[in-house]
Amino acid sequence: MESIEVKICSGTTCFVMGSTYLNELYEIIPQLYGNKVVVKPSLCLGQCSSSDKHSKAPYVKIDDEYVSQATIEKVLEVLKKKVEHV
Amino acid sequence: MFIDIGSSQKKKYNQNAYGDYFVTKRYKETGRVISILSDGLGSGIKANILASMTATMLLKFIEAQSDIRVACETIMNSLPVCKIRKISYSTFSAIDCDEDGNAKIVEEGNPQFLWIRNNEILEPEFKVITSKTFSNRHMHLYKIKLEKGDRIIFCSDGVTQAALGTKELRLGLRREGLIEIVLHKLQEEPDISSDALSKHIVRQVELIEPDHKLKDDTSVACFYFRDPRRAMVFTGPPYDIEQDNFYATNFYNFKGKKAIAGGTTANLVARELNLEIEADNAINVGKLPGISYMKGVDLVTEGILTLTKLSEYLESGLPLDDAAGKLMKFLLDSDEIKFMVGAKLNQAHYDPSLPVEIEIRKNVVKKIAKLLEDKYVKKVDVRYV
Repeated sequence: MESIEVKICSGTTCFVMGSTYLNELYEIIPQLYGNKVVVKPSLCLGQCSSSDKHSKAPYVKIDDEYVSQATIEKVLEVLKKKVEHV
Repeated sequence: MFIDIGSSQKKKYNQNAYGDYFVTKRYKETGRVISILSDGLGSGIKANILASMTATMLLKFIEAQSDIRVACETIMNSLPVCKIRKISYSTFSAIDCDEDGNAKIVEEGNPQFLWIRNNEILEPEFKVITSKTFSNRHMHLYKIKLEKGDRIIFCSDGVTQAALGTKELRLGLRREGLIEIVLHKLQEEPDISSDALSKHIVRQVELIEPDHKLKDDTSVACFYFRDPRRAMVFTGPPYDIEQDNFYATNFYNFKGKKAIAGGTTANLVARELNLEIEADNAINVGKLPGISYMKGVDLVTEGILTLTKLSEYLESGLPLDDAAGKLMKFLLDSDEIKFMVGAKLNQAHYDPSLPVEIEIRKNVVKKIAKLLEDKYVKKVDVRYV
């Protein structure tokens, strides 16, 4: 089975909008899912500039799905569904 | 040729001001460099004022006059004499050179400079010019042609008279001792930068002084004539999106070291040239996002926050080991720096709900370029695309 990839954006907009608060995910996710899920930082996901009027940073990408205004709870929720779905 | 200039100074023990003064100015258009090392009488604040006045005045004079000889003679003839000690208020060494290797050097009272080629000392001829107003003042005028790999070293008498009167060095370090230190270091590290070499010499002088307490202000200025180390920084996506590929290729084919500051810019280069970006796993702790890696590019960082931090570091000279600190090291290890600044704005950065620390890229780059030119004597070229 292929592992699920979680990428946390650390681009300018996401960073000032608090992507560092998501740092805990680097500990939580491996604890929950072991090597089924890989979590790593991304230089920039490029979402803030392409989205509509107000950007919804910070962004997290889970495989092909983007989580906007990401919080730890929101990311874990989406991830949970993904893992169960697989 | 590029002229790599570095200087290092230490105060006399227990003094709170430097009694020597080194000033240098690079003229970007002509490739000319003027530098002056001046040693003020005595030490402390008085010497500091005398030395800085002599050096800055001389710099302005040489700049205005076409001939360094006339400028130096004027200063020599007009420097006042101390009423009590009956000696000149300050001494100086001055160099006026260009990137073709033509150099004129004038010395008045300072120790003779070193000229090193292929790890040997060259002894150039000089002309003695005696002051018309003070018969005890003479200046030495040298006209020399420098080649690639040559080094010139200026020092104040704090270096040559170090450890004077001690058991081991009754007459001080003298020129011979200085030559030994320099040649030994050059054998170890033939490509050492001027900055590192000058720091090494001052440190050695400090070590041979009894109790490591300097008896006089100690200054060293080094000049190294070599091929320039080139670097390019690409920051911000180009205004015209159709030109992305052109600029990405242009950047990638640049001969020299390369850095990208900006997530969007890095994505653009990766997309156009089909490269992968790998973010560093060390999680960004503190105030800056971490660095990333891309094949063929020496450093990849986030954009505007890192650049803003970089300008702070350049100003204070005290970097931390974060992305901006790495970018600072990258820049200071280069001589000629090109900035390719994309003019396109990321609308999301101007969202009023965002914190206010996001600056406008053009302004930050302008500030960085000025600091690199003025404070770190780099050759900087900024191009907006």
